[in-house]
Amino acid sequence: MEKWNGFCEAAKNSSWKVKLSAVVMGGGQLLYGCWQKGLVYLLVELSVLYYFITRGISDLVGFFTLGTQKADPWTGTAGDNSVVMLLMGIFAWIVIAVFLCIYVSNLKDAYAIERRVKAGEQPISFKAELAQLLDRKFYITALALPVLGVCVFHILPIVFMILIAFTNYGGSIVPPELVDWVGFQNFAQLTTLSRFAPTFFRILGWNVVWAVLSTGLNYFAGLGLALLLNKDCVRGKAFWRLFPILAYAIPGFITLLGFKFMFSYGGPINQIIRDLGGTAIGFLDLDAKWSARLIGLFVNCWISVPSIMLLATGHLSNRDMTIYESARIDGANRWHQFKSLTLPYMIFTTTPVILSQFVGNFNNFGIFYFLRGGLYMDNYFLASDTDLLINWLYNLSIDNNYYSIGAAISLVIFLITSTISLAVYVRSAAFREEDTFQ
Amino acid sequence: MKQNRKAGRVVDSVITHIVLIVVCFIFFFPCLWLILASFSKSGSIYSFRGFFPTEFSLDTFKKLFTDTTMYNYPKWFLNTLVIALGSCVLGSFLTVLTAYTMSRFDFKSRKTMMKTTMILGMFPSFMGMTAVYLLMTQFGLINRLWGLILIYSAGAPMGYLTQKGYFDTIPKAIDEAAKVDGATNFQIFRKINLPLSKPMLVYTALTSFAWPWSDFILPKLLLKEKDLYTVAVGLMSLDETEFARFAAGSVFIAVPIVVLYFSLVKNMISGMSAGAVKG
Repeated sequence: MEKWNGFCEAAKNSSWKVKLSAVVMGGGQLLYGCWQKGLVYLLVELSVLYYFITRGISDLVGFFTLGTQKADPWTGTAGDNSVVMLLMGIFAWIVIAVFLCIYVSNLKDAYAIERRVKAGEQPISFKAELAQLLDRKFYITALALPVLGVCVFHILPIVFMILIAFTNYGGSIVPPELVDWVGFQNFAQLTTLSRFAPTFFRILGWNVVWAVLSTGLNYFAGLGLALLLNKDCVRGKAFWRLFPILAYAIPGFITLLGFKFMFSYGGPINQIIRDLGGTAIGFLDLDAKWSARLIGLFVNCWISVPSIMLLATGHLSNRDMTIYESARIDGANRWHQFKSLTLPYMIFTTTPVILSQFVGNFNNFGIFYFLRGGLYMDNYFLASDTDLLINWLYNLSIDNNYYSIGAAISLVIFLITSTISLAVYVRSAAFREEDTFQ
Repeated sequence: MKQNRKAGRVVDSVITHIVLIVVCFIFFFPCLWLILASFSKSGSIYSFRGFFPTEFSLDTFKKLFTDTTMYNYPKWFLNTLVIALGSCVLGSFLTVLTAYTMSRFDFKSRKTMMKTTMILGMFPSFMGMTAVYLLMTQFGLINRLWGLILIYSAGAPMGYLTQKGYFDTIPKAIDEAAKVDGATNFQIFRKINLPLSKPMLVYTALTSFAWPWSDFILPKLLLKEKDLYTVAVGLMSLDETEFARFAAGSVFIAVPIVVLYFSLVKNMISGMSAGAVKG
């Protein structure tokens, strides 16, 4: 509202020179003698106009139609490539957005110059304005490159995938076939009867169980290890700490492949079993549902516990030890101290860590990809009973070209993780307020 | 009574140490197993007795670097090094720049940007990757090492929060003093804040080096030629009969990063925990 009032006032008070800028960008600047800036603005407007006349408009149309002309090798007509059209359409939208920002800045700038002139000052010179980019407006210079990178390699792909989730791209429909917008059909396919739905719910169930179990296990194991190393009677703490750090430093794929070899048919564990007169067990085989799942939990523990231990050690040394002194005088034994002092404190201070661990485990791609990758089972559509949603997503979209279903699954994953994060965030913020209140 | 308590303390200490030994054994044993396997004389996992090889030699390491017709390990190693070093330099630079700007400047779109990065972080990292893969195939950027460097470093600023937390702990009063003396913001950054944040720089460089060094998803997606593989992708293509080669290759790529972690662990923890205070 305030902004709107400011805008109205500016529109009323400004002269025709500023209003010229609204039509011919840079016009006001040119008339007030800032010719370099004026030319830059003018050039922007002309090039955007040129872009839209030559291809921008047809790109925007293509964004909605996703192609009308199918390629025909017989008559030799070059067809439309729907995916490229979608991409170019997104690009055209981005050009519009950037142009609007520059347009607004052009108007603001012209108005600012006019006010300076009316107040009897000289407009800021072009050189001085460039110098500001290294000083007061250093943030523009500094952030230009990172923002550009994030936009191209993060935002553009994510926007692209979100849009793909609402098309029928994938399966047999890939260019040169034409892709179409289908609305929520992919989500309907995931949740109602189709070949995807039973697999989706089975995997979702296991995924939630996995995320809860592995996060809980890792957290308490890491905390326990930190408490153990923190005990007064432990000598040479630095030495003991070396081993978890070693596990932490080894690249994850080496650990995972190593464990896969360890539990494989010819692996050392099965050799020992055979030497003892037993028969080899297929720990990670097709029918090894729970043994594979348990091995996954254990291996994930091996990988994640060290980092949690390092973090917990830091937090433990920040504790206020006088509370423990008084608790001891009141006759609380160690278990009581842990339960009512250490644990609440740790959970309070490490809520963000637990949260990021939970989200990380929910999307833990590596574990089952390495331990049991590429297995497809009968009851599952292109997945196995240890696969998480993210593994299924990989199988569908990278290995089997079901792009639109894969994109829909990513959106479901995003919805789940963001809802949980938001819920925990709101709750913990409320806790914090309560704490400061007391 | 007193003796009883003393005995209890001894028992407690003994149990603690036994548990510690067991835990450290669990952490150490797989590493030991791989190291010993890399020195085995025969390559296949089937020739081992239980966990350990029957005969030891240095042949596997020699083979790793000389027998390159099927598995060109030296080339893989070089590829990985190029990608990791490139992304380390470029990625750390962008991350530190972003974090510093977010910490020191108060501009209009700052809050929006912070919220946007938070929301973007909640999308499965993988989702973007399928799209990146599609985009890269569309534009014919498959099988290019610099394409990977570009993607890694462009993604690095997304994790600026730890570094921002670190910069937040450096008092702004120093900046003000320098400003009074006539320093520009750029000079303040280069001459004051950067030298003060050495632990954080080390932490940033290490993490942005370690990520491409051990990542397997992107290289697997984008590098389809055997000579362009990184070590991670290459080692994945080895099967059980090439177990010793796998072990040797793993040891060779794990040792540098483990040494780096051990020598920089002090810097790392202070960089990590100082950043976590105000995260």
